Amino acid sequence: MAYQFDFAPVLAHTDLLLQGAAATLGLTAAGAVLGIALGVLGAICRAWRIQPFSAAFGVYVEAIRNTPFLVQLFFIFFGLPALGVKLSGWEASILAMVINLGAYSTEIIRAGIEATPHGQMEAAASLALNRAQTFVYVVLRPALARVWPALVSQVIIVMLGSAVCSQIAAEELTFAANFIQSRNFRAFETFFLATALYFAMALLVRQLLMRLGQRFIVGRPR
Amino acid sequence: MSNQRRNFLRSALAGAALLACASLPAHADTLADIQRNGTLRVAVPQDFPPFGSVGTDLKPQGYDIDTAALIARELGVKVELIPVTSTNRIPFLTTGKADLVISSLGKNAERELVIDFSDAYAPFFNGVFGPEDAAVATVADLDGKTVGVTRGSVEDLELSKIASDKVTIRRFEDNNATISAYLTGQVQFIATGNVVAAAVNDLTKLRRLSAKFLIKNSPCYVGVAKGQSALLTRVNEIIAKAKTDGSLEAVSQRWLKAPLPADL
Amino acid sequence: MFVQFTTWDIVRNLLEGGKWTLALSLIAFVLGGTAGLLVLFLRMARNRVAQALAKGYIELFQGTPLLMQLFIVFFGLPLAGIDVSPWLAAALGLTLFTSAYLAEIWRGCVESVPRGQWEASASLALGFTQQMRHVILPQALRVAIAPTVGFSVQVVKGTAVTSIIGFTELTKTGSMLANATFQPFLVFGLVAAGYFALCYPLSLYAKSLERKFHVAR
Repeated sequence: MAYQFDFAPVLAHTDLLLQGAAATLGLTAAGAVLGIALGVLGAICRAWRIQPFSAAFGVYVEAIRNTPFLVQLFFIFFGLPALGVKLSGWEASILAMVINLGAYSTEIIRAGIEATPHGQMEAAASLALNRAQTFVYVVLRPALARVWPALVSQVIIVMLGSAVCSQIAAEELTFAANFIQSRNFRAFETFFLATALYFAMALLVRQLLMRLGQRFIVGRPR
Repeated sequence: MSNQRRNFLRSALAGAALLACASLPAHADTLADIQRNGTLRVAVPQDFPPFGSVGTDLKPQGYDIDTAALIARELGVKVELIPVTSTNRIPFLTTGKADLVISSLGKNAERELVIDFSDAYAPFFNGVFGPEDAAVATVADLDGKTVGVTRGSVEDLELSKIASDKVTIRRFEDNNATISAYLTGQVQFIATGNVVAAAVNDLTKLRRLSAKFLIKNSPCYVGVAKGQSALLTRVNEIIAKAKTDGSLEAVSQRWLKAPLPADL
Repeated sequence: MFVQFTTWDIVRNLLEGGKWTLALSLIAFVLGGTAGLLVLFLRMARNRVAQALAKGYIELFQGTPLLMQLFIVFFGLPLAGIDVSPWLAAALGLTLFTSAYLAEIWRGCVESVPRGQWEASASLALGFTQQMRHVILPQALRVAIAPTVGFSVQVVKGTAVTSIIGFTELTKTGSMLANATFQPFLVFGLVAAGYFALCYPLSLYAKSLERKFHVAR
């Protein structure tokens, strides 16, 4: 008898898969909001060379971009307790995602800010906009509008990368898949369904973020 | 779910996976193939000491590896070790990329639908371990506590069976993560093998592991693909012989530092 | 039972694993780059079917984890009667992954070439392939180099998931060693250092290319 596919033993755990998918989306949402916020902060420090923060963000960006996410996660989960900071699997996962996305989005948004023509700043000054208004309407929004697709792609990369969080027992989608297949040995069927869920989530998140971007960042007159 | 709907789902999903058909080209007789090729391909762990970990040359070693060598020797063929993880060990077997899985597999009814299991080849002395001063003597005392365990391992299966809902079980990827979680205080207790606990105590003085209670001795089995009855029978013969002629006893003494239980 | 590893044993084995990471990265980059160019041509083509195909390809392989792609190639195709060696599966999986991202990065670069260039070259009666080859790509190339080299860093780190199909690259070697020595901090610290050593020069190179391009403009 050859191997027979059977999705039923996996579909029996649909609730676990959906909970895992919801957890992955939650991790992604938290990671995206805080990570992009961190990225905006970093990008401003970098683009305007605000020392010593610019240098500090420079080191941070290189350290994070050139090392694997798994190692960053291990360091936070297993390393920080030695310094008296004990984070749960969830907290560690969110922190790792924020730190990771923060580094990439610092670079992405910086490129957007640096592409803002200088004339724009001068025009803003001549319109008697105050510093905060100038920043939001002349610097930040056009910069975000310019790099929004790249940011959305990076959020999706981070979402797919969050699969690694299963290694420290955070019960997200890959954890659910691995848990199910460790019980019923239906690895192929389980991973196939998990992949389909990841794909659906990637499409959903991309659509949602592109729409939000269109509505709040790109759409208004610049 | 009705049979029809299930069939529909199955074919739709399998079709979407770009599969020409939903079954393997039947390997008529793996045992004959093994003898013809002169090689036994065995999937073994390399992240699960003492059953399978690596030496300084990065070659797998451990109870499971010695068992694989023993079976190959009896078959009169060479052994080819395929290092696997708990994620890919079964696919290696079901896709015919490995002839046997010797990866400290525990058995349950669901798993038996997918692969066949041999007779037991190894005992597994698991327990729950924790700090010296923790007052835990039975599984009931774990209520409200957090226990780390390696996902999919025998101890995971057994602990999940006996622990109540009030126990928080954290399932980590591999032994290293489970043990690190204990050493760094991320979990209060862990379930693991006696030998592993002893080795950890030898290696680190960070947070000692003291035995709280033993989980039922749950043995390990060799995994064989479905429908390979000739191979399964032969493996069972070899295990039975190894139990009586002392060769499995030697493996047990070497890796588990304990005699093979008489009832295995 | 537990072998004692010296620090040198750990470093030596990690270097061995690093070689695999390097080899897999090169394969991913060469094959993925070639396939990415092909997908880019389809994506930019005037044929709607070709466009849709390329778009679907990019969405699919950007939207699913590389780990699962490798799993399905390596373990799924044999179930359909096609035997796949680990090398073939890794090459295929990494190519799909890399080409999807590169095609999308390069599309952005091609679109940054002013429309006038398309119109001017069309008025010279150049066909699509000729336009791309002689007019558009040479200009897009300048913009493309920095993000392409930047993405190569992600490819290097992405090769870690090939351990699912049996490759003992840097991350896998690290996890095997951590499980044999119970010294995760030393081992994973060294793993991070290894990736940094491979990736940082690429990042620096991307930066210098970016600067060069800015000056040239």
